[in-house]
This record gives sequence, C-alpha cells and structure tokens, in this order.
Amino acid sequence: MTSTLPRRSVGQRVKRHDGDAHLTGQAVYTGDVTVPGTTHAALVRSPHAHATIESIDTTAALAHPGVLAVVTGAEIAAVTDEIPHGLDAGHLGGHHAVVRPLAVGKVVHVGEPVAAVVALTPADAAAAALLVEVGYDLLPVVLDPDAALAEDAPLLYPEWGDNVIIAREVGPDDFDEVATSAAHVLDGELRGHRGNAAPMETRTYLADWDSRRRHLTVWATTQNPHVMRTVLASTLRLPEGSIRVIALKIGGSFGLKMYGNREDFIAPVLSRLVGRPVKWVEERSAALLPAARDQRLAYRVAFDDDGRLRALDVHAVSDHGAGAATHGWGMAHVGALATGLGYALDHCHVRYTVVATNKAPWVGTKPFGKESATLLLERIMDRIAVTTGLDPAEVRRRNFLAPDAFPHTHTSGLELDSGDYAAALDLTLELLDHPAARAMQSAARAEGRCVGIGLGFELMPESADIPGALVAAFDTSTVRMSPSGQVTVLTGVTSPGTGNDTAIAQLVADELGVAMSEITVVQGDTDLCPYGFGNISSRSIITGGNAAVLAARDLVATLHTTARAMLSAGPEEAIVLGDGMAQVAGDPERALPVPAVAGAVHTLSYLLGLDIEPRLESTRTYRPANVRQVPDELGRMNTYTTYPYAVHASLLEVDPETGSVTLLRHVVTHDCGTVVNPMFVDGQVTGGVAMGIGAALGEELVFDADGVPASTGFKTYLLPRAIDLPRVELGHLCTPAPGTPLGAKGVGEAGFSGALAAVVNAVNDAIAPLGAALEATPVSPPRVLAALLEAGQ
Amino acid sequence: MIPHRFDYVAPDSLAGCIEALNTAAPAGGDGEDARVLAGGTWVLPEMSRAESRPARLVDLRRAGLGGVTGTGSGLSVGAMCTYAELLASPDVLRHAPLLHTMAEGITGGWALRSQATVGGSAVSARPQSDVPGALVACGAVARAVGPEGERRFPVAELFAAAMHSSLLPGEVLTGFDVPSTAGAGSGYVKLKRGGSSWPIATAAALVRLGDEGVCRQVSLVLGAVTATPLRVDVDAALVGTTPGDDGVREAAHLAGAAVDEPWDDLLAPGSYRAAVAAPIARRALTMALVAARTTIQETRA
Repeated sequence: MTSTLPRRSVGQRVKRHDGDAHLTGQAVYTGDVTVPGTTHAALVRSPHAHATIESIDTTAALAHPGVLAVVTGAEIAAVTDEIPHGLDAGHLGGHHAVVRPLAVGKVVHVGEPVAAVVALTPADAAAAALLVEVGYDLLPVVLDPDAALAEDAPLLYPEWGDNVIIAREVGPDDFDEVATSAAHVLDGELRGHRGNAAPMETRTYLADWDSRRRHLTVWATTQNPHVMRTVLASTLRLPEGSIRVIALKIGGSFGLKMYGNREDFIAPVLSRLVGRPVKWVEERSAALLPAARDQRLAYRVAFDDDGRLRALDVHAVSDHGAGAATHGWGMAHVGALATGLGYALDHCHVRYTVVATNKAPWVGTKPFGKESATLLLERIMDRIAVTTGLDPAEVRRRNFLAPDAFPHTHTSGLELDSGDYAAALDLTLELLDHPAARAMQSAARAEGRCVGIGLGFELMPESADIPGALVAAFDTSTVRMSPSGQVTVLTGVTSPGTGNDTAIAQLVADELGVAMSEITVVQGDTDLCPYGFGNISSRSIITGGNAAVLAARDLVATLHTTARAMLSAGPEEAIVLGDGMAQVAGDPERALPVPAVAGAVHTLSYLLGLDIEPRLESTRTYRPANVRQVPDELGRMNTYTTYPYAVHASLLEVDPETGSVTLLRHVVTHDCGTVVNPMFVDGQVTGGVAMGIGAALGEELVFDADGVPASTGFKTYLLPRAIDLPRVELGHLCTPAPGTPLGAKGVGEAGFSGALAAVVNAVNDAIAPLGAALEATPVSPPRVLAALLEAGQ
Repeated sequence: MIPHRFDYVAPDSLAGCIEALNTAAPAGGDGEDARVLAGGTWVLPEMSRAESRPARLVDLRRAGLGGVTGTGSGLSVGAMCTYAELLASPDVLRHAPLLHTMAEGITGGWALRSQATVGGSAVSARPQSDVPGALVACGAVARAVGPEGERRFPVAELFAAAMHSSLLPGEVLTGFDVPSTAGAGSGYVKLKRGGSSWPIATAAALVRLGDEGVCRQVSLVLGAVTATPLRVDVDAALVGTTPGDDGVREAAHLAGAAVDEPWDDLLAPGSYRAAVAAPIARRALTMALVAARTTIQETRA
C-alpha cells in the first residue's frame, strides 16, 4: 500500500487564524488596554514652524480639575538622555540632530510637542493642555529646499552651519564620458510631493512604571518591540531588563511605527515622572505630521537609437523637514541605491541632498524611497519611447536584465538574486489584452476622449541589514511542543496587521505534520519572545519564517528518533510526519499520533533508551547568506536579501474639461518567489496598489505660507476609497529566492511604486495628444487641468 | 472626546429650545455661548478639536423639526430632516427630484446620511457643500423662529457669507418650504476630487419646457464655486428657444463668466473652480433638458 503525501498548507489560501477576532471586534489593540489607576496624557504642540521657547506658564493648567502634572521639555531633558538614532547621519558625513521627547529651547515645526499634561481623564488632559501658556519668539521659516539652501537662509540648527542633513553619492560619476558616444541625451526634472503612511490606528501607548520593582511595562503600537526596549532603556537611563515592551494587534503601520520616533518616549517618560500608568493616544492631525516622498529629481539620461540605456545621472533633493532620530533620511539613500535597478545600466550616478526645513520630519514610510526611483526610471522609459518611436513596453523589454544575468551587481552595489522581468511584462500585457486596450484607446481618441495606458516596473530590495544599526536581515524564532502536542512559536518578528503570524503557523504546521489549530504564535512581547528586529523591510517571512522552519526541523529530528523507537522502525525505514500522525514511510499501519510521540519525549525518554537530548524546543536564527557588508573595491555593499518585482499596467480616462481621472483597469504581475499564503500576497499587492494610486492622485500634505499644515484629517488628506479604485487584476510568477530554505521574497512593500508610476504614465499618455505633460505628482484634477490649459494656450 | 465642560439640553418643544438658547448657561462650564445641535456632524468634531467651545448645546432632536412632508403645493422640509429621510420620501421624488439626486451623492455613506441634517448643513453655510446650492435652485423659503417670532425669507438670503448664516442671535432655523418643481426637468452634477472629497463644484439646473419643446423657464445655480450659491441668469440663452447644444453651451458660457470671485481651498484653487464651472453647468443643463423632455413624453403617453 502506498502512502499519500501529507496535506500541506504552504501555498494554500489558508484563512488567518485570528480572523474571527478581527471581524467580531474582539481583537485587542493597544487602545483597548487599561490598568488600574490609568491616567491620560495630552500634548501642548507648537503653533509655529520656527521659534524659540521663551517661557512656559503651567499655572492655569495645573489648576484645572483632574490634572496631576504638567511637564515641560526641559524638565524631561533633565532626567533623560537624547533619543538614540535609528540611522545617524552624523556617523556618515552628515549632521547629527539632537532629538528629545519634547522640544527644548526652540521649536522647528508646527505640531512639535513642547509640554505634556497628565490628568485623570483624556478630556481633562486635553482641556488643561489648552491652558498651558507658551511664550514664543518667532524666527524666520524655511519651507522648501531652495529657501533652506539659499546663501543667507535661516538655520534650523545654527551649530550645523547649514540646513543640509546629509549629502552623498552612489555609483560612478561617469555620465559625461559615456554620454558623448550616446545617440540621445535628455534632461528633466521630476517633482514628488509630501505624503504620509496614514494607518487607521494612530500611535498609542500605555506605560506603567512600577516604582517598587523599578520596572516599566509599555504597551505600544510599535513594529519593533525589542529595539524599542533597547532605545527606551538608553533614553530613560534604565537597564534593558527593567523594561518590558508589549506590542498587541496593530492597525497598520507602513513604517510610521518603526522605532526612533520621539512619540515612543512620551508615555514612558511621563509614567516614570508621575508614578502612575499613563496612556497617550496620538491625535489624527498629529499622525498626519510625519512625512515621506517629498523629493525633487533632476536628471540626465543617455540612450541609443535602439532605446537602450547608456547612462543616468541624478541629483535628488529631499525636503526632509526637521531633524529626527528615525531612519527617515535613509529613504533618500535607498532611493539612490535602487535607481536603475533591474535595468541593464552600467553607468548610473545618483547624488542626493537631504535638506532640513521647518516641517515635521520624514519617517520611514512604505516603500522607503524606492518609489521615487521607480517613478523616475518609468518616466524615463516613456520619454525614451517618445524619442525613439518605440512602444513603451518594447523599450522596457530591451532594457531589462535577462533571466540568465543573475546574480547581477548594480552600480550601487546591490546584488540582484533572481527574476524574469520580461516574463512579468508579458503576462501583464496579456492580462490587459494590450492590443485590445490600444484599439479601445484609438477609438476613444477619435471621439475626442482622453484614454491613457501606462506601465510601471517596480523592483523592491527587501529584508535590509544596516551595518551598525538595529536593522537586521536575520531574526530568531523558538518552536516548542508540549506533552499534549500543542505547539508554541515565539518569534522576534511582528505583524503590523498583515497576518504573517498565520503564515508562520502554516510553515511550522507543515514541518511538524500537525494541524494549524495546534499552533499558537506569540509575537511582540519582549519578556516572552527571542530578541528580534520586528517588522521592517518586508522581512517577517524571510527571517522569522525561515528561522521557525529551522527550529521546527530540530523538533522533527527529535520526533523522528522517538517515533522510530516507539514503532521499532529499522535504520533503513524513514519516519514521516503528516496529518497529525508519525508513521513509518510506506506502512500506515505502523503509526502514532504526534501528541503521543511528543508525550513520550517528555515522559518515556529513559524507557525508550533515547540517545538524544529529550528536547522539544529549539531556538534558531536565520541569517541569509547573500548580504555583503565588507565593501568591494568601489566601496559598495549589498545590504538587501531579496529582490521581488512587479510590472503594472494602468488603463484610465482623463476628463479634459475637469482634469478628473477615472481608473478603468489596473493589472499587475508580481513575483515574490515562493508564496506561503496567496491570500496574504494578493492582499499586500492590492493594498500597495491602492496606496500607490492614492499617492499618484490625491494624498498630499499641504502647508500654508507660515508652515502650518492644512491637511489635518481625512477630509483634507484624501485617501482613495473603494469607489475610486478598480478591481486590481493580479498575475503571479514564482522565481524562488536562491539559497534560502523557503524561496520566499518580501512582499510587504509590493504594489505601491509600480502603481504610482503606471498611473502617472497613463495620465501622461492620455493627455499627450493635447500637447500636455505632467512631470510632478500628484496628478490631481487641478494639476491635470492646469497642464491641459497651459498646453492649449 | 470634547475637552471642555458644557451644559447640554434637549428641550421637547421649539419654544423650549429658543428659551434655552436665550438664557445663560449655568455656571461650571468653561465655554463661551450657546450653540444649536442638529445632526452634530460638524458641531461635535469642531468641539472635539476645541475649535468651538459653547457653554451650552441646545439639541433640536426632541423639538419636532424632523421629517419631510408633501403640502399640496410642494414640500415642507424640517430643519432636522436627514438625507436618509429625503431619500425615503416619495413626495421628494414627486415635487423636488433635485433634492433626491443631491441626497444620493452625499459623501459619508449611510451612517452620515442618517445622522446629518439638511438644516444643519444649511446653517453651517460651508461653501463646499451640496445643500446650499440645491435649496437655492429649488427656490426654497427658509423658516426661522426666534424670541420675536417667525420670519420667512428666500433661502438664498440665509447664506450670508462663507461659514456664516444670516440667522439672528437666538434664532433657530426650523425648516424650508420648497415649491413643487413637478413637470420640470432637473439636473444635478457634482465634481469631487474622489470618494472622500467635499464638493469642488456643483451645478443644479431646472428646466421647464412647453408642449412644443420650447423652454419656458430655466434655473441654474452653481454651488461650491463661490463663497455662497451663485444663481446664474441664463434666460437669454435658453428661454423661448428649443434648446439645442448651442444654446446649452451659451448658457454654460454665461455660467463660467459669472464666476468672478471663485472660492479657493486646499483641495482646489479658485482658478480651477472657475475653469470647471462652465462644463459642470453644461452637464447639469443637459441632464435637466433630457429629464424635461422625458417628462413631457411621459405626460403625453
């Protein structure tokens, strides 16, 4: 009798294990937690973009009913150290910004917290915060890079001597030499705009200082609980062991809840000062302060008559806002690393300048600067198509790296592992029915309508490791099996709401041959889980997932040895785990339930004469082999592990009278290697497309002439709604990540960049017959109409 | 969460509401004056953000100002009538289909349509909203009651300026009389930046045709393009003619030319609103003409 293969869940559309709790409102978020004696904090924020703090009068606030304390930035600074940087520009040739939980001495953007009130109720805290009287001496403001880089510009940080956070170069500076032999040279400028991660759940904290134990417990909406503990300990002058950080369910983060933000420190510091549990929930208007994507790219590109790229030279100027202790400025660096990636381009030089202005700072935001690189290259591909008369798809096909080109080292040093970009393009065009779409476009144009088709190729370096920083390409998982066969997985990676805990349970279930229902995944608790780096850079399955697989395989070895003894299997006979049973391969009569074997490991090890450690617990760390941080002869490193990619096509119509854009179809073919759960991958790509479309069309942080943000809520910061979006049509390819146990690649930042590029290209394609073009985002109706009116004059 | 302390009353009569509005709030609160609460979809968020700090909220919910009823010659719309009530009313479809179409396009889904009120929106007088332009186009008459008694006035007079109604201190808007437009064709076009956007421009049109298809009466009101609703006289282009594309285009041109001080906000500059006024007007007039012709055909059949 032949045995059937055990059922496997990897690759299946397994529902998330906690879906019922989410759907019925039973899932516990940080805001749901309360402990006896909880008090509430509210912040006093600066109404000015640039000013010195001359005085803070807390008398009236302290007299307000229910108020326990009013704390100023200076008072906090006296008992804490500055916030450690996630990525310190000061160590890399730029300037170090000193950041503290609350402003000290001066404010550098509107909304910067100046003082905090702790009261018995949230309403009393908010009311008293309005009574704190802060005396400001106004300073001149700089609100864009031109103003900030001007000769006599006011300085945010006079000790720096300028407003440049950091300026660096990536790749060989050889454009001029190469361009002389190229058939064409184009130059241009592409302007991005300021956007935000906009998660549903704003940042929320409950900190509980226990003065008897000298111990701090912090429930926090953080992507990186362990690292948050490390930096909290440093700033609060406490041993790490005196702090426990617990991250519960997260209502979206997209980078906003990565460590390094001053917001992480406010409730912990206040709890320590007041000696009571302190809860602080960020206001929506404050959650819309942090930013990304605000970049201006000036470029020159050289190419030949056949459309092939020869050389690219870019100067990126980032409007960062104020200094920060986050990784935010790193988005300019990653954008530079990723520029030209995936195309056969031997000469690519990017200079970037990250400028401090009187706005809230950049904070790491999906897809971490890579979207600017994508948009740039995809606009360039379309410009090459116009110049050469080639089809835009053909230009890309000619420039893509071939499937046999891997591993390939880009000019920036990144080493691409695998992929078949042209195959993704072909599948996308097939799903779109490209000839039919072009025919429809021609028919529409004949009627005077403006229909456009745009392509966008995205290639996302994922699972980063930053040397010297607490951002690692590796992570750790523990797998433990109890005497009754129940499995607990403890992992250093966390879920921002995406469901990687379910995917990790699938992986472990398959290795151990047990049902998903036997598995509990524990994440986010620094007292329970192995030290880990949490959720960043689309790394959770690659690191925590692979580590769990390795740990589960250690348990499998113990179960095999024990089952072999219990079933009197010979050395030539294999044991197979599956469907909850351990059986001798090919002999289903000789089988035991996995819990019976687990129980035997715990209770019968002497009787069975097991010559092994009777251990059903293993902790393993998975560290990918392809990261290379010893610089090569050109000083380059490969700081990323995997390189997933996608090709998007957008079909849309522009109303030439109003500039309104109606999305008709959006097709995307994605390749993230081995897929653990197609539902999660589809969800990630679809969500990323929605974010990218939002960035392309509507989401924009707007300021008045004094630097006061006007986009303070979701009526003024326009997220796309379901009715604005077409169904995202998905195609999938699978090029497994070479040299990894699973073959999976990151998918957490998929969809955004290619959607942004495809929509911008499609709008340009739609309005090109009217002589109009848009090289700035967002391509909102007022901007589209302005471009059309300008072209018509 | 509303940070300040205030007095809240919900009198069970209009007289009680007016009295509450005109007597001082008890001590203990820290607000400034009394404010009327209708659906609360503007007032409560403003209070949560501490942009408004009334000492007392006078809630109209028990004062009998809800609903919409047919009156024989039109509609009586209570100040507390919600969008959901407008949508559910066959009288609205019969006498003022324009209001039905307007209510269908209100942003915010059923939660908002069941909570927000026509009167609340009108008194808020926000330029970038649907209700002001639609009521003006319908020729509605506002009713307000204060300590001195009731006044009635054309609803256009309610919209004094952006964010300012012409209600007198201590006065409560109680509702609107809307004359029937049965037999006329109506068109309503709203331009937004997306599903979550407030209106950038609206155009409300009513066209009445004679049996022979000659335009006897036309009414065109632009909303959201200027601080207050802009009624545009397009009689010269359409009345007395059998309206075709040229006439409609000429009327739309008049509408565009009438926008001399466009409203400007962060979602769209005034130049944009001025530029889209004509095409939006043209589309609304076209809709209204089609509806008017259909009405005539239906009457004949």
